[in-house]
Amino acid sequence: MDKKTALYICTGCGIGDALDIEQLKEEGTEDFTIAEIKDHPFLCGAEGVELIKKDIEEEGINTIIIAACSQRVNYDVFDFGPDKIVDRANLREHVAWSQPAGEEDTQMLAEDILRLSCSRADNTQLPEPYAPEEEFSKDILVVGGGLTGMTAALETAKAGYQAILVEREAQLGGFLARMKQRVTLPYKELTETGAEALVNEVTEHPKIKVYTSATVEKIEGGPGVYSVDIKSNGDAVSERVGAVVQATGWVPYDANKLGHLGYGQLKDVVTNVELEEMAAAGKITRPSDGSEVKNALFIQCAGSRDPEHLPYCSSVCCLVSMKQATYLKEQNPEGASYILYKDVRTVGQSEDFYRKAQEDGNIFIRGEAVNVGEEGGKLFVEADDELLGEKVKVEELDLVVLAVGMVPASKPVTTPRIKAPADTEGADEQGMIEVLPDSGFFANSALNLAYRQGPELPTLKYGFPDSHFICFPYETRRTGVYSAGCVKRPMETAKVIDDAAGAAMKAIQCTELTSEGKAVHPRAGDTSFPEFNMQRCTQCKRCTEECPFGAINEDEKANPLPNPTRCRRCGVCMGACPERIISFKNYSVRMIGQMVKAVHVPEEDEEKPRVICLICENDAYPALDMAGIKRMKWSPYVRFIPLRCLGSMNLVWIADALSRGIDGILLLGCRHGDDYQCHFVKGSELAETRLGKVSETLDRLALESERVKFEEVGITDYERIPKIIDKFMEKLEEVGPNPYKGW
Amino acid sequence: METMINYDPTFAEEVFQNVDAGEEIKMCMNCGVCAGSCPLRHEMDYPPRQIFSLIRSGKRDEVLNSKSIMLCTSCYTCVVKCPRSIPVMDVMHGLAHYAIKQGILTRKLTASFGGEFWNQVYRLGRVDEKDLPRRVFFSQGLVEGIKSMLGFMDIGIRLMLHRRMKLLPEKKIKGIESMRKMLDKAEKLGKGGTVA
Amino acid sequence: MKYFLYWGCSLEGTGANFLVSLKPVSEALGMEFEEIEDWNCCGASVSYAGANDLAIKVLNARNLAVAEAEAGYDIVAPCSSCYVQMIKVNREIQEDPDLLKDVNSCLAEGGLKYNGSINVRHIQDVLYNDVGVDKIKQAVVKPLSGLKVAGYVGCQSVRPYGEYDSVNKPKVQDRLLEALGAEAVPFPSKIKCCGSGIFLPEMNYCMELVKNILEDATKHGGQLISTVCPMCAMNLEMYQERINKAYGTDFDVPIVYLTQLMAVAFGMDMKKDAALNYNIIPPEGVLKAAIG
Repeated sequence: MDKKTALYICTGCGIGDALDIEQLKEEGTEDFTIAEIKDHPFLCGAEGVELIKKDIEEEGINTIIIAACSQRVNYDVFDFGPDKIVDRANLREHVAWSQPAGEEDTQMLAEDILRLSCSRADNTQLPEPYAPEEEFSKDILVVGGGLTGMTAALETAKAGYQAILVEREAQLGGFLARMKQRVTLPYKELTETGAEALVNEVTEHPKIKVYTSATVEKIEGGPGVYSVDIKSNGDAVSERVGAVVQATGWVPYDANKLGHLGYGQLKDVVTNVELEEMAAAGKITRPSDGSEVKNALFIQCAGSRDPEHLPYCSSVCCLVSMKQATYLKEQNPEGASYILYKDVRTVGQSEDFYRKAQEDGNIFIRGEAVNVGEEGGKLFVEADDELLGEKVKVEELDLVVLAVGMVPASKPVTTPRIKAPADTEGADEQGMIEVLPDSGFFANSALNLAYRQGPELPTLKYGFPDSHFICFPYETRRTGVYSAGCVKRPMETAKVIDDAAGAAMKAIQCTELTSEGKAVHPRAGDTSFPEFNMQRCTQCKRCTEECPFGAINEDEKANPLPNPTRCRRCGVCMGACPERIISFKNYSVRMIGQMVKAVHVPEEDEEKPRVICLICENDAYPALDMAGIKRMKWSPYVRFIPLRCLGSMNLVWIADALSRGIDGILLLGCRHGDDYQCHFVKGSELAETRLGKVSETLDRLALESERVKFEEVGITDYERIPKIIDKFMEKLEEVGPNPYKGW
Repeated sequence: METMINYDPTFAEEVFQNVDAGEEIKMCMNCGVCAGSCPLRHEMDYPPRQIFSLIRSGKRDEVLNSKSIMLCTSCYTCVVKCPRSIPVMDVMHGLAHYAIKQGILTRKLTASFGGEFWNQVYRLGRVDEKDLPRRVFFSQGLVEGIKSMLGFMDIGIRLMLHRRMKLLPEKKIKGIESMRKMLDKAEKLGKGGTVA
Repeated sequence: MKYFLYWGCSLEGTGANFLVSLKPVSEALGMEFEEIEDWNCCGASVSYAGANDLAIKVLNARNLAVAEAEAGYDIVAPCSSCYVQMIKVNREIQEDPDLLKDVNSCLAEGGLKYNGSINVRHIQDVLYNDVGVDKIKQAVVKPLSGLKVAGYVGCQSVRPYGEYDSVNKPKVQDRLLEALGAEAVPFPSKIKCCGSGIFLPEMNYCMELVKNILEDATKHGGQLISTVCPMCAMNLEMYQERINKAYGTDFDVPIVYLTQLMAVAFGMDMKKDAALNYNIIPPEGVLKAAIG
């Protein structure tokens, strides 16, 4: 498209008072070709917007630079349709509200901000949505036919979409079908499981296709264009789907490892799962001799919250034991049930059922079991009673129930080993190596994705799929694959139902957005996608290895094979590529490079240092805006360039900037590690890793390592940002000016 | 050898059956807010929540001999604060009443003060403020009684001088006989009276 | 505005200044009181040592039943202990039909029956909600300007139900004090317990509670402490000398009933109406300074 660019400067919100607008128009734009330059005291008002619209119509303006408030506000006001390029220069939060009015440095800052915007607009092209040759599918594959899977399939079907449900067992129902009763909203009494009715509803629904005794053999392609190989009752079938819900559920923690609590040694020590199955079959009796159960003791956290076993809380076992104590009470009202707990964790409204269990007269003892034994045909439990501060003994027990926790079904029993690339450290004699938990090789077989980064969802350390429980609870690290239910996190049935519905909605949303060539969360609606200039590819595999979402496959020769519908548009591949062959229409290595060059660097004797700050636009940038809104002050020498993700940072920008005389580079990205806040999971971590290699660049230029600094910033850290900047500026002052100025 | 408490639910059952508000302790989740809010928590041997734990474990002697159950100022703070809406104060009163009925007088003076108070109510229908301390003091024995009385002479005299002591002895209310019949019936009908 | 006044045992003795001052003040505000015929003691907070819970409930229900049969006016109990006993029993009876049945089977022994129709009110409740701050302000002829009062609410006048005021941050007494022209100083111990009914037998434990309250009141500038409970007044006033001896303090803080302050502000007689001469620690000095 032939660009015709116009610049509109808003003088409202204090911008006009802080700056010499006429000088700004002149100085800020002289390096660029701008057809129209106008200012308005209230650009986001009806009159201001009309002014722009009029120019679009009458002057044929198609590229619009708005020099006003932050890009994070009024984006709807300044939306002139998909065929226009709009760029935003932040003169409000970053200048008028955070710098002293009328000063030379403030004016120079505003001029550079305009130059950055003009340069970005210059280097932006309109993206064209990805459209493959084949037709997009909007069907949803649901893997796992328990409560989660059945609910997800039903929700999908009720929303008018076709669901394909694959269940490993011969019957639908999962663990729900093995339960006697369940406890759910409003948590006052036991309710029926409803398994039979649910199975019937699913089986009879015209928009649900059910495969039982079935496994997913292979999933190929990407969102909207998946092809799925299913083996059902020995027959191979193939389906095309748009998105996937993984609902493969949980398994109980292996009680054989709990010998210290008597399991395997005393016949009347059973797990909560065994008790549930006994109850569902009719009657709870003593396994040793089939006699009546009068008194029972439940050991909570059997293996849970224990670093030797399951380090986490499964959040359901307390409720389950209370439910099972209720079974026992119904069976024998004279009996006593003891519940030996570390903490009672009846989450949310289920506290009401705790109250009921107390009212029923069940005896709650806070403490840990130290010994389970047998005396005269009855069991006893010795425990440290934390509330009495003494050892206690409960005798005359007919049954001891171990409340074991939930393990995601995706977690393999043993850590898998794969063939290690040559020369890898830690490989055994056969050349095999343990895979990391966050690789897609770690999880137990369920999806069999034909992905270069492994066949399953990358997991966190306990085997649950890697995701962010607050920011994107359904998204996994495989675009279009949504995990739900207990495979994702231990949860009770009421939450499972909500979770399944949520995952189904997410899956539907994914198919809809994909069909329009748009990205899903967090860049929902973005139609750009990475393009590879393959002539210059050196098959280094960095892009295929680093993509946090496994979007890029490889051919035998290690050439990258991009799958645009799997892409989340973070640009991590673009930052990874040493040959700089990956770019988006509206985001590229060249674009940021040009922007860096657009910044005017004063001579050394002017004593005006210049710093480029590459800032994550998801968390750090809004935090900086917030600092501006709060009228906090920071150095006027910093030029902020927002990045889609710090993971898209390419080292060449740093080299370019430093060789042009920029005194320092500050990188503000999201927190990474186990409690990461990165919107693209691995982006900020990769950026910091890459930065480890920046020393080569600095050495080559004979520059000090202090000139480049990475800081983790959360969205609530607005108070820290000015301090980080001040500290960095102090450091630079110590180091002195960049000797490359003026070269 | 380490002592080991054998959990025994029979005392808990005794409390549920015989102590006023005793069944309320089932709902305790041992958060300790009662202890934190009690003005006399520092003087107690067991905070209320621990009393409840002891009841559950069956430690009858420890509970009934605890001075905590006799130290309630009836300020209602624990009642207001308990997240499980347990009327902690009522439970403590119930336990104190039950212990006294078993002849356990951990806090003699308080027990006899409360006991004498009720005796007067029962005898007269009202309370005679000058007669009450005297009876309480002498419940400790003659010598102790004289000592305590002398110790309170100053206060008594001042109250009298400032017209804050009713000089005439309190008379029985007119309906005293019928009131006693009502109370007798209540004593039989209510919980907390019988010795287990 | 007609009520039953249930003044209880203390207000004829240790709390006499409360009753003496209450009468002219309520008259001036247009309240009419009737006595419940042949009323009996409420059992206060310590009766549990001698009686079971039902007996204490029946004791109170007798007064409620008599009041109901007589005229059914709201019962106003100036003594906090009486108030809380009666309102508690009344509420529990109203909420639990089985309890009402048990209580009535006992009352029947004396030919009485209670239907649960009576309201039990605290004097602060009636002053604040029925009379109102505006009317009280109108009655003030000698505003207590500049008088700094620590309004001591205590426990049983607001807890446990908070019928007319917050159980955690009560305001009503302060608003009433302000209506008299006084300044209600901030007073965090406003609802801390004074030891109440077991002060006397557990004096060694309870003196510290009172000491803390006095300390807090004076620290925040209170020239005197106002109260609405004879038990609080007794514990706070009578033992100051002992506390001074035990803790090396020098408290000499007058403890006055809210109604005494009202009588003074209404321009009534300091002795006959306000009953200031009943006070052991004389409040006349600071009060005269305030009204000029």
